[in-house]
Amino acid sequence: MKKVLILLLALGLILAGCSQQKPVQTPPSKQTPTPKQTQKQTQIVIHGSGATFPLPQIMKWIHDFEATHPNIKVEYVGKGSGGGQNDFKEGLVDFACSDPPVNEKMWKEFEKRGQPLQFPMILGAVVVAFNVPGVDHLKLDGKTIADIFMGKIEYWDDPAIASQNPGVKLPHKKIIVIHRADSSGTTKIFTTYLCLVSEEFKEKVGSGKLVNWPVDKMGRGLAGKGNPGVVAILKQTPYSIAYTELAYALKEHLHVVAIKNKAGYYVMPNTTTIKAAFEQVKAFVPPPDEGYKENVAQFLNAPGKDSYPLVAFSHALVWKHYRDPNVAKAVKTFWSWVLTEGQKESHIVQGYVPLPKSVAEIGLKAVEQIS
Amino acid sequence: MRRFKDHLFLVYLVASTIFVVLPLFHILFCVFANGLPVLMKGGMNFLTGVLPAPGDGLGGIGPAIVGTLVLTVLATLMGLPIAVLTGIFSAEYPNSLIGRATRTLLLIMMEFPTILVGLFVMNILVIPLGSYSALAGALALAIVMMPYVAVYTEQALKDVPSRYREGAFALGLRRRTVVKILMSMARKGVVTGILIGIAKVAGETAPLLFTAGGSYTVYFQGINRPIGAVPLLIYQLVQQPYQNYHEIAWGASLVLMLIFLAIFLPIRLSLKEVKL
Repeated sequence: MKKVLILLLALGLILAGCSQQKPVQTPPSKQTPTPKQTQKQTQIVIHGSGATFPLPQIMKWIHDFEATHPNIKVEYVGKGSGGGQNDFKEGLVDFACSDPPVNEKMWKEFEKRGQPLQFPMILGAVVVAFNVPGVDHLKLDGKTIADIFMGKIEYWDDPAIASQNPGVKLPHKKIIVIHRADSSGTTKIFTTYLCLVSEEFKEKVGSGKLVNWPVDKMGRGLAGKGNPGVVAILKQTPYSIAYTELAYALKEHLHVVAIKNKAGYYVMPNTTTIKAAFEQVKAFVPPPDEGYKENVAQFLNAPGKDSYPLVAFSHALVWKHYRDPNVAKAVKTFWSWVLTEGQKESHIVQGYVPLPKSVAEIGLKAVEQIS
Repeated sequence: MRRFKDHLFLVYLVASTIFVVLPLFHILFCVFANGLPVLMKGGMNFLTGVLPAPGDGLGGIGPAIVGTLVLTVLATLMGLPIAVLTGIFSAEYPNSLIGRATRTLLLIMMEFPTILVGLFVMNILVIPLGSYSALAGALALAIVMMPYVAVYTEQALKDVPSRYREGAFALGLRRRTVVKILMSMARKGVVTGILIGIAKVAGETAPLLFTAGGSYTVYFQGINRPIGAVPLLIYQLVQQPYQNYHEIAWGASLVLMLIFLAIFLPIRLSLKEVKL
C-alpha cells in the first residue's frame, strides 16, 4: 500500500514538474535551438517532409550526403505533396518536397511567413504500361491513348491501334483501363497531357488530380490506390493498360508504350528522351522566388524528335531566410550538394533522371540566397 | 433429444470460441513467420541501426524503438496520475453530478477516434511550438491512455465487496484511509487497467500521425524535437514499393509485438490475486 502511495506521489511530483515546465518551455523553445546547437556544434539535424514519389531518391541522397558530411543529419518523412506543403506553411519543417508546383493561393500563405524558394530537383516521367499476353512492344499516339482511356476504343485489335503497330499480333480482347483511385499528381500530369492531344478528352473529362473516368461506367475501368495499387492490378489483369511513374514501371519490369511525340516520332521513356524533352522546355521553369507561376502543361508534349512527351519533375521548397543560422547553413549545404554532386549518375536511383546542368543552375542560384 | 441439443450447443460454443481467438493466433503466427527471418538476418544491428536507403539492405529501427519507449514513458507520466485519481473520484462519488458526468465522459473518450486526438494536439502544441515533438506525441498518447486507466480503476474499486467499505466506515475510519485500503484490495484491477493503457499507447499509430513527426535516421534529439515510433514507422514503410522496406516493416512488427507482450505478460502473470 505504502509503495503504491509513494509511487503515486512520485508520479504526481514528476507530473507537477512537467506541467510547470511546459509553460516555461513554450516560449524559449523557439530560441533554444541556438544555445543547444552552439553547445553541441558537432551535429545539426534538419527536417523535411512531402512527396513520396521522389522518396527513394531523397533517401539515397541523404545516405550519400551524410557519408561525406558527418556533422549534418537530414530527416525526410514521405507524407505526400500536400502534407509537405502544409508542414512547410506551418513552419514545422526546414524544407519540403512537392511534385506539383505550389499554387498561387498556397504561395501567398507561405509569403506570410517569409520568402519561399521553389526549384526542380529531379526528373522523372509518367509512362503508359500494358499487360497484353504475347505483345512486348506497342506504339501509340496521344490521341489513341486518350481514346483508350475514354473507352472509345474497346478492343486491342482496333484499327486505330493496329495501324500504328504493323506486324504485332493484337488479340481481339476488351481493353481494361486502370487508373488511380486517389488524388494524385501522376493523374494530373497524365490528364493534362491527354487534354493537350485530344480536344474530346478536354471536353469530356478534363484534367486534374482526380477525374471522372468515362470507362468506369462502361464496366471496363479499374482503380488502384497509389502507384503500387495500380501496378498490382495491372500485373494481375491480362489485356489491361495503366499509367504510372517510370520508376515503378522499371522496378516492376512492366512493358511500356512508346508514345508519339510532337515531332511525330515514337519514343520510349528513358534518360536520353526525358532529358531531351526537358532541354526543350526548361525555359518555362519560373524563377525560384516566383514558383507559383509554373504551369504543368508547358512541360508536356515537348518539341524535338527525341523528346518523350510526358516528363514530370519534383520540386524542393526552402526558405530564403532561416531564424537559426546553423539551420540555414545546413539546408544550404545539403541542397547545394544535391544540385551538384547529387546529380551525378552514381547518386541517382534507377528510374529517376538527373537535371540538365542549366536547370540545376536555377536551383543553385536560389540556394545561394539562403541565409 | 435433449442431450443431443445440449451437446450441439456445447459444440457451437467451442467452435465460436475458437473462431474468436483464431485471428489472434493467426496474427501472432504471421508476424513471427515474416518477422523472425528479418530479425535473424539483421541481427543486433536491426535493433540499433538506422533506416537505410530504399533497396539498400535492412539497416535497423533503433531510433523508432527508442522513440516508442520515450513516448510511452512520457505519456504514462502525464496521464497515469490524473487517470488513477479520476477513477478513484468517480468510484467514490458515483452519485454526485460531477461523478456521473465524469463517468459518461470517460466512456465517450474511450471510444473517441484517436486521429482526432492527434489533430487536437497538433493545434494546441505542434503549431504553437513550430515543430513536431516528442512532447506533443506523448500528450496525444496520454489523452488516449487516460480513459482506459480511469475506467479500469473505477471498476476495480467498485468490484470490492461493499461490506468492506461499510465495515471500514463503521470503525470510524476517514474516507481517505478507506480509499487507501480499498485501493490495495483492488490492486490487481487497477494495475491491469494501467497495463492495458500502456500497452495500447505503445502500439498506437493514429495519435502520432500529426504530432510525433517521425525520425528514423537520427536518435532522440530532445523533448521538443520530432521523434519516431515503431507503429508509425511500419505505417510509413508499407506504403513504399521497396522490398527491403517491406521486410523492415515485418521485422518492426515483430519487435512491436514483443514490446507489447513484454509490457503485458510478466506483470500480469506475477500479480497475485488479493484474497478477500
